[in-house]
Amino acid sequence: MLHSRHANRWLRYPALTLFLGLTVYLALGFGSRSFEAFCPFGGVESLWGLVRGGEFSCTLGPLNLSMLIGVLALALLARKAFCGWACPIGFLGELASRLTGLIWRRRPLPSPKVNGYLKLLRYPLLVVALYFTYKTGELILRGYDPFFLVFSGFGHGSLGLVSWIVLGVLVIGAFLVPMFFCRYLCPLGATFDPFSKLGLLKIVRNESTCNNCGACSRKCPHSLSPNSVITLRHHDCTLCLECVDASTVKNTLELKATL
Amino acid sequence: MRIPTIILPLLVAATMFGGYALRGAFTQPTTNLVFEASPSATMTCTVKGVKCKGTANFFTQLYNGTSGIASIKTFAAEHKVVFDFDPALISKERIKEIMEAPIPLRDGTSRQIFFCESMD
Repeated sequence: MLHSRHANRWLRYPALTLFLGLTVYLALGFGSRSFEAFCPFGGVESLWGLVRGGEFSCTLGPLNLSMLIGVLALALLARKAFCGWACPIGFLGELASRLTGLIWRRRPLPSPKVNGYLKLLRYPLLVVALYFTYKTGELILRGYDPFFLVFSGFGHGSLGLVSWIVLGVLVIGAFLVPMFFCRYLCPLGATFDPFSKLGLLKIVRNESTCNNCGACSRKCPHSLSPNSVITLRHHDCTLCLECVDASTVKNTLELKATL
Repeated sequence: MRIPTIILPLLVAATMFGGYALRGAFTQPTTNLVFEASPSATMTCTVKGVKCKGTANFFTQLYNGTSGIASIKTFAAEHKVVFDFDPALISKERIKEIMEAPIPLRDGTSRQIFFCESMD
């Protein structure tokens, strides 16, 4: 039995639009706090300063830490649902890839092997970013962080031409590979990975009804293959449910609570 | 167990709201400078200009050598400063005056950097 397309996207995009709107609202100076105060990665950046001196680094504050705790709790329940349902940068990346999907007849995607290696880039980037942040007490990532650069309008901490080049590379990357920044570079995504692996909610495939058409895999923005496993346990799954929408047979892919 | 997909936005909203609500559990300051004075009063100010550790350090240095100030805690993310002071030696108005005084710049001019937006 066929089922309606994009049903879950109609649920997800308003949620993402709401979070993007709130970020823009704060970035424009409305509200009592900076948009940066809500960034969960700020919580990761503040940890060492808190452990070492009991003080927050740079502009970081309690909200960064409490948002990190909220997001990690979410990861234990719903894996990287924060990325798929709330992150403004992820949403912009997804819109860019959807836009470029209209241009590309066939995207020049890297092979699965190269894609796998490139995904490992997130980890050294996370280590380097945290090492220098902890060493200097400054948010050194700001100059390279699309979240900060876009929403602050290249504010204090951006690196002029270097930041423009970084953002240019990320934009070009987004036009070539869907979710380019999230896939290969996002340090928050790297932080989530072990928690996401433990997450309770997963996409589960019903083998008896699956016709193995591969439509779900083609729609996955992170190039995962729900059609090749029974339970999709990959830590990159953001539970965006694009695969569920793309599935050609109703109830073949479902969201389930399973260990 | 099959889960309706509507649970996902609800979970995201609940954990985000939970994270926001939890912020009061972490009260660590950005800087905490203690002077030699006995405190008997506290004043909390919202100060425009205190926005990071650098500006918070600069702000607290303004009170170096000021008698009557026992400690200054800054909370950069909230632009908040908490003074413990001895009202017999320094008044709230004098504390405000010090922070709002124009700061001499390298080019010979001076400019007001910090603005006390509220105090209680």
